[in-house]
Amino acid sequence: MFHELGLMNFSVVVSQFWPLLINGLALGFIYVLISLGYTMVYGVLRLINFANSEIFMVGTFATVIVSRNFFGFNQNTDPLHGFKLVYTLGACLLASMLVSGVTAVLVEIVAYRRLRAKGTNRLASLISAIGVSIILQEGVRILTHSVPMSNPRLLRKAYIFNIGSVGLRVDTLLVIFFAAILFFLVDRFVSKTLLGKAIRAVSMSEETSKLMGVNLNRVISATFLIGGMMTGAAAFLYETVYENTKYNVGFSIGLAAFTAAVLGGIGNLRGAFLGGLSLGLLEEFAAAILGTQWKSVTVFLVLVLVLLFKPNGLFGEAVQQTRV
Amino acid sequence: MNKNSQRVLGVVAAAALVLGSVALTTAQAATKSVTLVYQGPLTGTDAQTGQDELLGAKTAIQVYNDSNPAVKVNLITADDQGEGAVAGTVAPGVAANKNVIGVVGPAYSGASIASFPSYKATRLTMVSPSATRVTLTDPRSPDNGFPFFHRVVGNDALQGPAVVRWSIDGVTAPKVYVIDDQTPYGTGLAQAATAYIKLKKVNEVGSDSVVQKTSDYTATVAKIKNSKANVVIYTGYYPDGGALAKALNDSGWAGVFAGGDGVLNDAFIGVAGKAAAEGAKFTAPAVPFETAATDAQQAAFTKATGLKTAAGHVYVTETFNATNVFLSCIKLGKLTRAGIQQCVATGTFFALDGKTVLKFTRQGEVVGGAPVGGFQVVKGIIKYFGAV
Repeated sequence: MFHELGLMNFSVVVSQFWPLLINGLALGFIYVLISLGYTMVYGVLRLINFANSEIFMVGTFATVIVSRNFFGFNQNTDPLHGFKLVYTLGACLLASMLVSGVTAVLVEIVAYRRLRAKGTNRLASLISAIGVSIILQEGVRILTHSVPMSNPRLLRKAYIFNIGSVGLRVDTLLVIFFAAILFFLVDRFVSKTLLGKAIRAVSMSEETSKLMGVNLNRVISATFLIGGMMTGAAAFLYETVYENTKYNVGFSIGLAAFTAAVLGGIGNLRGAFLGGLSLGLLEEFAAAILGTQWKSVTVFLVLVLVLLFKPNGLFGEAVQQTRV
Repeated sequence: MNKNSQRVLGVVAAAALVLGSVALTTAQAATKSVTLVYQGPLTGTDAQTGQDELLGAKTAIQVYNDSNPAVKVNLITADDQGEGAVAGTVAPGVAANKNVIGVVGPAYSGASIASFPSYKATRLTMVSPSATRVTLTDPRSPDNGFPFFHRVVGNDALQGPAVVRWSIDGVTAPKVYVIDDQTPYGTGLAQAATAYIKLKKVNEVGSDSVVQKTSDYTATVAKIKNSKANVVIYTGYYPDGGALAKALNDSGWAGVFAGGDGVLNDAFIGVAGKAAAEGAKFTAPAVPFETAATDAQQAAFTKATGLKTAAGHVYVTETFNATNVFLSCIKLGKLTRAGIQQCVATGTFFALDGKTVLKFTRQGEVVGGAPVGGFQVVKGIIKYFGAV
């Protein structure tokens, strides 16, 4: 172990800094979008939606199915360009967001609403969500016979500009750009719109919100829908970069995104943003410097240290206005 | 009833008793059957390997049962998903099944280790077609399966050097980067490869250990490019190997991607994409069934599996051979676990070609070792290049 620690590799950070940074940000933004699903639901329900990782998985399959079965593309198809590229990617994105969003709402109705209505304790809801997660994962495993599915390469992975001798790829830049816009839109939505205010009101006080005439079930369903759609967008972006999915793809990504949400302050939108980006960068640089086998150790060590000093995460309870 | 009638009745009754018992015995003998189990990953991310191997077992049993033997052989399956954790829950059920007299498998090394306690306790013999970790037959290792584990393939002590030789073949000034997947199989093969690299003073420029089911390989790719490696040896399985090969190709890296038998699978090309898979090299202690089988054996394969050819399916030959070890013992009348164990340990068997002798050492290895084949993706198809 100590021998391995002695093999810290800083030269890779120097020579590969930009790819690590850009890819770390791209990965981090994928975590941001998925963690919105966790953090928004926690904000309104004070519950962790463990099915969010499978909502992500379902979104990846929606992307693959649309591009393969609807458009008829396969591994031999040349990458697209121009308007065809735009509307194909658009269709895949829409499908992924729709499927994930609807799945999230169904999860809410099946796993949470009835138990909430009966006033059961939170543990029952948690177990119910885990059960739904397992049903989704195993269902897809059976349907796909556990075979990984590859997404056709719709977008040519061209290097569009260089920083020094290092090229930056169009797909990772697309993820960063698009995910940043999506997050900004969600943040504005929650801050400025009536529904967003209702979501924030419920997250602050469920009882008071009801007294103010807020339709609790509608707000909670809307929260699941928005969180699910963001997770679906993350699934589309994931497929654009990694081009593979399988029934259990959601597990490790979901765990990382949940960690990001906790790191930033669960229930806090901007905390999810900071947590996601921090986690993406931390994973890449820790793996590069220490070795990939130390990646998880490093990440969770940092998480524990942060929580020791800031038990509510980096943003914690401080920024009330931007809480969901 | 008068005395004559009584005598006749007595004779008829006696005859009926004798004939009835003969008929019963004949009926019992005609319907005698034993059960073998194929254990491997039939579901899960490595399901393709298990499904491929099962074809070999089915073919061997088809050939056997078609010869109208006195003892029929039934084949059942045990799905361990290629994971030790799952194998540990599956093996007790297999071991407790009194009808089972032998296990074709387990396919994977980690699953083998997890299965040993159950099978050793119930004296169930295993003949694996593909578990290659060295420690499985090393008497100094706590992981060994002595005296019940055998394998018809060479172990990683043979494959490690072979994958290095094959991967650097034709490469000028090779700089090798070795990556394992933290599984018992992956780490074992990586160790064997690294030992050979050091022995032959090949330039190893780095190593990494990437857990299975990793999605993002950016850091690993960055380290490979930083090291200026022109050969990458990946000792894990094809779902992750394919993703790594794709990530390397997308980053613009243009070296040789190589792997062991865990990566050798048609599905690797699907995961990696044609561009990334092209030129990838693999080794496996395996001979392609479609290369080695006779026309009659190919026909039996089609009859047993419904597939026209075994091309693209791995370890079919080896599973055929492993199953035949048991079938040969059954033909000799060994129908109990004790009989099978004694027969497998001491008997002489033949491989698919009918000429290559398969005999096991005391530790369960094939006497004289087994060749390691070299494979490469050429124009989107995995081609066999013979022993390397």
